[in-house]
Amino acid sequence: MPVGVKNYFRKIERKLLILVSIYTLLGAGVLYMLGLAPSLNVIIIGALITVFTFWALNYYWSLMDYRGDPFLFPLVALFASTSLIFLCRLNPIYAARQFVWLMGGLLVLLTMTRLLTNYWVLAHYKYIYALAGIVGLVLPIFFGVEQGGAKSWLDLGFFSLQTSEFVKILLVLFLASFLTENRLLLTEGTRTVMGVGLPTIREWGPLVIMWGVSLILLIFQKDLGTGLIYFSTFLFIVYASTGRASYVLIGGLMFLTGAGASYSFFHHVRMRVEIWLDPWQHIETYGYQVAQSLFAIAAGGIAGAGIGAGLPRYIPAVHTDFIFAAITEELGLAGGIALIIMYIIFVYRGFVIALQAGDDFSSLLAVGITSLMGLQSFIILAGVTKMLPLTGVTLPFISYGGSSLVANFIILALLLNISHANNTIREERPAPALESELQAV
Amino acid sequence: MRKNIRHLCFALIISFAILGLYMGYINIFMGPALATDPHNRRLAAREAGIHRGTIYDRRGEPLALTEDGERIYPLGEKAAHVIGFVSQRYGRTGLESVYDGYLLAMTGEAGMEELIDRLMGRTRVGNDITVTIDSRLQSLAMELLGDQRGAVAALDPATGAVLALASTPSFDPNILGQPRDAQNNYYETLQGDEDSPLLNRASQGAYPPGSVFKLVAGATALEADGNAANKRIKCRGSIEAGGFQLPDIAVHGEVDFARAMSVSCNSFFATVSMDAGKDAFYRTAQNFGLTKNPWEGSRSEIPYRPGSLSKPEEMDKAMLASSAIGQGEVLVNPLQMALITAAVANSGEIMRPYLLESVHGPSGEPLFRTAPGSWLTAMKPRSAAVIRDAMVKTVREGTGTNAAIPGTTVAGKTGSAQNPHGDAHAWFVAFAPAENPRIAVAVIVENGGTGGRAAAPIAREIIREELKSPVRP
Repeated sequence: MPVGVKNYFRKIERKLLILVSIYTLLGAGVLYMLGLAPSLNVIIIGALITVFTFWALNYYWSLMDYRGDPFLFPLVALFASTSLIFLCRLNPIYAARQFVWLMGGLLVLLTMTRLLTNYWVLAHYKYIYALAGIVGLVLPIFFGVEQGGAKSWLDLGFFSLQTSEFVKILLVLFLASFLTENRLLLTEGTRTVMGVGLPTIREWGPLVIMWGVSLILLIFQKDLGTGLIYFSTFLFIVYASTGRASYVLIGGLMFLTGAGASYSFFHHVRMRVEIWLDPWQHIETYGYQVAQSLFAIAAGGIAGAGIGAGLPRYIPAVHTDFIFAAITEELGLAGGIALIIMYIIFVYRGFVIALQAGDDFSSLLAVGITSLMGLQSFIILAGVTKMLPLTGVTLPFISYGGSSLVANFIILALLLNISHANNTIREERPAPALESELQAV
Repeated sequence: MRKNIRHLCFALIISFAILGLYMGYINIFMGPALATDPHNRRLAAREAGIHRGTIYDRRGEPLALTEDGERIYPLGEKAAHVIGFVSQRYGRTGLESVYDGYLLAMTGEAGMEELIDRLMGRTRVGNDITVTIDSRLQSLAMELLGDQRGAVAALDPATGAVLALASTPSFDPNILGQPRDAQNNYYETLQGDEDSPLLNRASQGAYPPGSVFKLVAGATALEADGNAANKRIKCRGSIEAGGFQLPDIAVHGEVDFARAMSVSCNSFFATVSMDAGKDAFYRTAQNFGLTKNPWEGSRSEIPYRPGSLSKPEEMDKAMLASSAIGQGEVLVNPLQMALITAAVANSGEIMRPYLLESVHGPSGEPLFRTAPGSWLTAMKPRSAAVIRDAMVKTVREGTGTNAAIPGTTVAGKTGSAQNPHGDAHAWFVAFAPAENPRIAVAVIVENGGTGGRAAAPIAREIIREELKSPVRP
C-alpha cells in the first residue's frame, strides 16, 4: 500500500461508498414503489440523510488524514442500509427508531476516531473494566426488565439499555490488557509439571474468575447466546496470545461440563437443545420460532421471493434475532450468502489489522473485537438456520436494537483506530511510551 | 502470535463457509419438504392467492377440484383416505398434502412468471396431477365393502401403480372444508368414533394375515429346497410343533404343494417352513418387504405401517409354525398383502408402489411423469410359477372358488385370520389373468368369517371390473 499518498484509504472508501449509496437509494425507491414506505418524502429524505452522513464521515476523515482500513466502513454502511430497508419493509416505526440509533452510532464512530486514536491508554484500566463489566451484568439482575425471555435490559425511562452489549467490549479490553502483560508467563509457564510448563494461579486466576463470573451471571439472566459469545471470544483471545491448544481444549471441556450441567438443571437450556434436535416435535410451542425461520429460508429459493413478497409476519422476533430469515426469504439464497460473504470480509479485514499491528496490545485488541463480531454473527446465523441450537442474539449492524448498534460502532471505531495506527506507524508515529513498557514485561 | 491469529481467522472463515453450504443444503434438499410441510402457514397464504390444481384419476375423472374457491371431492367418502383433505382448521392430509407443491405451483423456479402474474393482477393457477387410482375400481371396492369394516388394495403388478385403496368406514372430506359452524363437530365426532374412520386401513392397518401368508411360507420352502414343489405330506388334522398342537381345519390326507395351497392345509406349510428353518423363513419375509416401507427415504405418498414379525432369535419352533400360517405375531397391512401377491404375479419381482402418475401445467403441458421401478426381488421366477399354479388351483377347485370368473384364469388364496376381537378376519388375495396379470388385489373384511365366503366375491368383482376395460398400452 503506497503509504504517503494522501487519502489513498479514503479514496478506496469513496469508491465503495458510491456502490453503497446506489444500493441504499435503490432500496428506498423500491420500497416506495411497492407502497411499503410511509410517504415519498420520509423515505427519500431518510435515505438521503443516511447516504449523506456516510459521505460526510468519509470527507471528514480525508481532511484529518485518517488512515483507518478503507473496507470496513463501506461494509458497515451496507449492513446499516440493509437493516434500514428491511426494518422499513417490516414496520416503518422500527426503521425510524433504528435511523436515530444509526445517527447516534455514527456520531460515536466520529468521536472515537477523532479522540481515541491513542487507544493504548485503554491498556491501563484493566481492573476497572472487570469491575464495570461485573456491575453491568449484575444491574439487570436486580433492576432489569425481561425482554424475549432474557433478563438483560435496564429500563432507562425513554429507552432501554442492554448492558451486556457493552460489557462484551469491556471483556475484550480486559482480556487484551491482561494478556498483554501476562502473555509470556501463560505461554511458557513458571513451574514445570512432567515437562509441561504451567502458569501459577496468580497468572490465570483473574482470567478464570472473570470468565466464571460472566457465565454465571448470564445463566441467571437466561441470556445463553451472549454467554456463548463471551466464552468463545475468551477462548479466541487466549489462543491468539498463548497459541496453546491445551487452553482451548481445557476451556472447551469446561464449557461442555457447564453446558451439561445447565442442560440438566435449567429447563430453558434443555428446551433449546431439544428444539435444535427436533423442532417438529415441539412445533406448536418452543419449536415454532425456528421452524418458521426454516420455512422462510426455504421459501426464498435461490433468487428470493423479491422484496415485499415474502411473509415475514409469520416469523416471531423477525426484526431482531430473526431478521436474517426475512432477508433470505425475500433476497433468496443468493442474498443470504452475499451477506455471509460480507461478514467474512469484515472478519478477514479485522484479522489483517491484527496481523499488521505493531504491538501485542493492539494485536490482541483487534483479534478480540473481530472475534466478537465474527462469532456473534456466526452464532445467530447458525441459530436461525438450525445449524446450532438457537440462542437469541442480534445480528451485528442489521438487527433492530440501539444498544447493539452503538456497541458495534464502538467495535468498528476501535478496529479503525488500530488500523490507522498501523498505517501511520512506519513514518511518523512516535513509539508510545506504554508500548515499550509492555514489550519489556 | 501471528501464526495463532491466522489459525483463528481461518477457523472463523471456514465456519462461515460451512454455514453458506448448509444454507444451500436447506434450500435445495430440504426446500421442497419444508415448502409443503403442513405446519407451514405459507401454504394457507398461498392458497388464498392461487387456484389450486385438480387431482385426476387415471381415467381423467376429477377426484378433487376447486370451484368458486371451494374444494370439491366428487367421490366423497369413497376416496377420502387416499386423496385426503385441505382444511385451515384440521390441517392437510393424503395426496392433497403430499403434492401441495405441485397443486399450488410451488416447486421449480417459477419466479419470473409469478412476478408477471402478480404485476398483472392475475390469479395464479396451480398444476394438475394425475394419480394412478381408478375411480371406478375405488368406488366399486367401497360399495362392495359397504357397511362392513375392511379394506381393499389393488395394484398393477407389472408397474406398481396403485389402482385402488379402499377403507371402511370412511368420512366425507367435503364436509371438512365447510365453515366450522356448518360442520356440527364432524371432525371431533370422527376422532372419537371407536371404528376409527380416519384411519386408512388399507395401508395403516395391522392385521394378522392368516392363511394368505402361506404365499410367503410357500416361497420359503421353494427357495430353500428345489424339490419342495413335489414334496408330499400326510395331513392328520393337526401337527405337533415345539410341544404344541397346531390344529388344521380338516384331515386333508396326503397333500402336495398345490393341493395344500388349494385346501389351505396348515400341517403342510408348518412342516415345510420348519424344515427350511426360522432363518430362511425370516429372510424370505424380508425379501417380500414385510417390515420395510416402500417409500423409505422419500416422503411417503400415503401413511404406511410396515408389517411386523418376530426376529429369528426370538422365534421358537411353535412360533415359527404358527407364523408360517399367518398367526403368531405376524401383522401386515392390506397394501402389503397386495404387494406380496404382486410378487407372485410378476415372477418374483415387486415393483415399487406409486400413486402419482403425472403432473401437468395449467395449460396441459407435461411437467413430470413417474417411471415405474423395481423395489424388491422376493423370489426366483420358478418359485413364483409354482405358487401361481397352486393359486390357480385354489380358485378352480379349492377354498377360493367364489373368486372364479368364467373365461378368465384367476389365481387366489383365502385366509381366515384368528384375532382377539371376535370372528376371524376374512382375507382374500388374488391376481388375474394368471398368464398375464393386470391386477393384484388384497381384500380384508374385519370379523367377516371365512375368506372364501366374505372376501373372495369382492376380489372377483374388482378383477372383473378391471378386465372389462381395454388393455392399457
